[in-house]
Amino acid sequence: MEFTVQDLIQALLPGAIPAPVGYPLAAILVAFAVLSAFVAPLAGVTSWLERRVWARMQSRVGPNRVGPQGILQWLADGVKNIQKEDIIPASADRKLFLLAPYIVFAGFIGAFVVIPFGSWLIPADLNIGILYLLAITSLAVVGILMAGWSSNNKWSLLGGMRSAAQIVSYEIPAGLSVLTVIFLSGTLSMQGIIQAQGWAPQDWFIFYNPFTLVAFFMFFTSALAEGNRTPFDIPEAESELVAGYVTEYSGMRFLFFFFAEWGNLYVIGAITTTLFLGGWQIPATIFGVTMAEHPLAKGVLEFTVFFVKSYLWVLVAMWIRGTLPRVRVDQLMAMCWKYMVPIAFVCLFGTIVLLVIWPDGNPALSLATLGFTTLVLVYFMWRVVYQIMHSRPELYLKPYV
Amino acid sequence: MSEVITYFQNIKDTVSSIFEGMSITFSHFVRKPSTVQYPDRIAQQVQDTLPLRYRGILEVDMDICTGCLACERVCPINCIAIGIERNAETNQRDFTLFDIDICKCMYCGLCMEACPTGSIRHTQEFEGACNNPAGLVRHFVTENVPLYKPKKGGETETRMIQKVDIGKRYMDEIAEPES
Amino acid sequence: MSEAAGSTGLHTEDMTLNVGPQHPSTHGVLRFVVKTDGEVINEAIPDVGYLHRSIEKIGEKCTWHGYVPYTDRADYLAAMFANQGFCMAAERLGGVEVPPRGEYCRVIACELNRVASHLIAVGTFGQDIGAITPFLHALRERESINDLMEEICGARLTYNYLRIGGVGYDIKPETCARIAAFLDHFEPIVDEYNRLLSNNKIFIERLADVAVISKEDALQYNLVGPNLRASGVQWDIRRDIPYSVYPELDFEVPVGRGERGTQGDSYDRYYVRIRELLESCRILRQCLDKMPEGPAVAKVARKFKPPAGETYVRIEAPRGDMGYYVVSDGSEYPYRVRIRTGSFTAMSIIDKISPGIMVADLIALIASLDVDAPEIDR
Repeated sequence: MEFTVQDLIQALLPGAIPAPVGYPLAAILVAFAVLSAFVAPLAGVTSWLERRVWARMQSRVGPNRVGPQGILQWLADGVKNIQKEDIIPASADRKLFLLAPYIVFAGFIGAFVVIPFGSWLIPADLNIGILYLLAITSLAVVGILMAGWSSNNKWSLLGGMRSAAQIVSYEIPAGLSVLTVIFLSGTLSMQGIIQAQGWAPQDWFIFYNPFTLVAFFMFFTSALAEGNRTPFDIPEAESELVAGYVTEYSGMRFLFFFFAEWGNLYVIGAITTTLFLGGWQIPATIFGVTMAEHPLAKGVLEFTVFFVKSYLWVLVAMWIRGTLPRVRVDQLMAMCWKYMVPIAFVCLFGTIVLLVIWPDGNPALSLATLGFTTLVLVYFMWRVVYQIMHSRPELYLKPYV
Repeated sequence: MSEVITYFQNIKDTVSSIFEGMSITFSHFVRKPSTVQYPDRIAQQVQDTLPLRYRGILEVDMDICTGCLACERVCPINCIAIGIERNAETNQRDFTLFDIDICKCMYCGLCMEACPTGSIRHTQEFEGACNNPAGLVRHFVTENVPLYKPKKGGETETRMIQKVDIGKRYMDEIAEPES
Repeated sequence: MSEAAGSTGLHTEDMTLNVGPQHPSTHGVLRFVVKTDGEVINEAIPDVGYLHRSIEKIGEKCTWHGYVPYTDRADYLAAMFANQGFCMAAERLGGVEVPPRGEYCRVIACELNRVASHLIAVGTFGQDIGAITPFLHALRERESINDLMEEICGARLTYNYLRIGGVGYDIKPETCARIAAFLDHFEPIVDEYNRLLSNNKIFIERLADVAVISKEDALQYNLVGPNLRASGVQWDIRRDIPYSVYPELDFEVPVGRGERGTQGDSYDRYYVRIRELLESCRILRQCLDKMPEGPAVAKVARKFKPPAGETYVRIEAPRGDMGYYVVSDGSEYPYRVRIRTGSFTAMSIIDKISPGIMVADLIALIASLDVDAPEIDR
């Protein structure tokens, strides 16, 4: 089953259409289908879920009226925003102002090209996949800077400048953490990185050794910063910069920025899963059934495993946003250069040293790292129970209201 | 050396305080939301849950209103308008007008404290939205009615006894000096 | 616009930013004209007056009793204190003695109101720093207080509870029991709030050593209330110029200790309020225990006409020393009412403290001073 979506398009192309014409046409069609059937609902449902998760943390209910439990809220919001007037400030740089949301959007949508949803479900398994990802996700900063500058508004300008400084700085710890993984896997291809890991937690790169565990947190934090998420949401810091670089936008253009932000959350989760959490890896045999003999079941299972793992990190990002205050712009820089870059370097060199000692990894070290993480999680659950006992609230164990 | 200690202390503090904060927000997933889904998804009408002292939209029981004009005089924003005329046929004084402008009313409660019989009082009603502000002027006199005169030795009619009791009970809520 | 040549010899200019009047974190309608060099502020000039409602002038046109509901509007977050200031002034002019139960009712209502007001202060503080969850947790507790207030006096925000000579409604025993139950529930919540927000490293980093107001500056710029105490001056009207039943109560006056940075920084101004929450709980418990029997309001004529004279009353409101200067000419209406509020003087120090801090710190500074736009302008 070693073929990709690329091969699929080529196989299904009718013979009458010459390949140079048909292939781009099919690619556009597929891209459109994927956009409307997967990415748009994903970003939309994420926006709804974020509001619900946030609401529960704040003793509220959240949007629950449109559709079952409010799951169609994003459609209502979209329809509302399309109907709104598209205001362009008189003194704005018109062309750049109109273009900026699409560039941000393109940066986010381009990332889906190399996200491996299954062993064969990947639009293009580029041999420089992770490098491509680091490059294409940085495209967003161009759009944000463009929006900040062209709005001709001081708040927007401050927001755009903050965003540029932030994203460029945080590329470094993110890149160093990715480098740690590349050292372990020996490839830049997304599928290659996943195939270098196993399905069991101790085979994942996050538990490979203590350094990769730290590298994982470095990567996730940097990714949050690049995605402009709390505690690093300073480019749109509502209480300081009104709305940052989106201050002058309205209607659908405004929504495009947030569409990209919520979609980007999933991209962050997907990259994290690919690099550190074993991607779509499932056991070769489940209850005595050899998975290779059932390609469809295997594909569905792989997709589910990948999706659940990556969406877990979306939920964690929402949870962090519901907890933490925002850092100041100079502290953001200090945190990056004084703390995260050195720590990421230590992780990289530590991993290299351990690779020299045990070129094929040390199962005992992996198990120890896994055990430590489990202990931390158990302690965390104990703290949660303590918080509930301490304030003696009324309990309500249903996820919906 | 102390700088190195501070460096690691900072990392430790950051990690532990974020850990603690996240455990608190996580524990809220099993706590009951404190909001209610007003106006439709509530077990009980909000009006029914409000205490007797709640100062909602004013109402007047014209049957026990003596026409003493105390409320009109005490109102700081003059939102109460009362008209009294002598009826030539019965030779009694009649109400021709008793309007309260809810738009102006600031729900201070001074009028109901001034009322000797408890006929003007705040209800538990607070939903006053309407399309035309004129609809917020409450007219309590539709046709001329005579003023209430308390009978010596108490009321005899059941309906009136009830009304006087409601007024008295309402007045009991207000703190008045013992004398 | 000042022009300066940087070290590189490039031509640079200051940027003028208008923070407000419509800005998410100006706590009402406030405006600051800020001159910045990038993100660093060179000058921040507060511009007040957007919320002026002539409350003082209205006082000259209202009867003595009729003006009490208007004072609610002077500071809507702490309406009870504005009531108390005016009522005390009128009582002093008219020589009215408030019965002891009335005084206890006043103190209970005021301290509940102080808790509600400080909850808004610390909650919006979190929101201005970017943490929205603590804000809603604080408002959740404030809703419980609003429910209690509704039971005590029938209103949730503009209470009009106090009357000249006492209180409008006696506090019932079942309400006292509910207040005690609320306090039992509230104290662990303050602890939880500390663990969620006050001890958070990011929050501390944002506030510690930021916008430090020294003791001398605080005194010279006439800061009052928690802002003054955060700078290390132990001054509380409740203790130093006692009024009502405060001399009978045992409570502490928290001062800023600079525990996370310098004395008088934004964190101290925040943390003094958190500690005052617990002190208010202590006062409330004592009041509930000591509540005497008897009438809650003295007999005061409907047509209250105090003899000609003037008085100045100071009370400790959540935003500090609130003063009422009231002149009577012996008629049915006050001759002059002047209200002195803490927020107004707090605004003046922003000019002095802001040079050199960043735009984000200015937001933290405004939030830490707990200014309330309607109270600034009246």
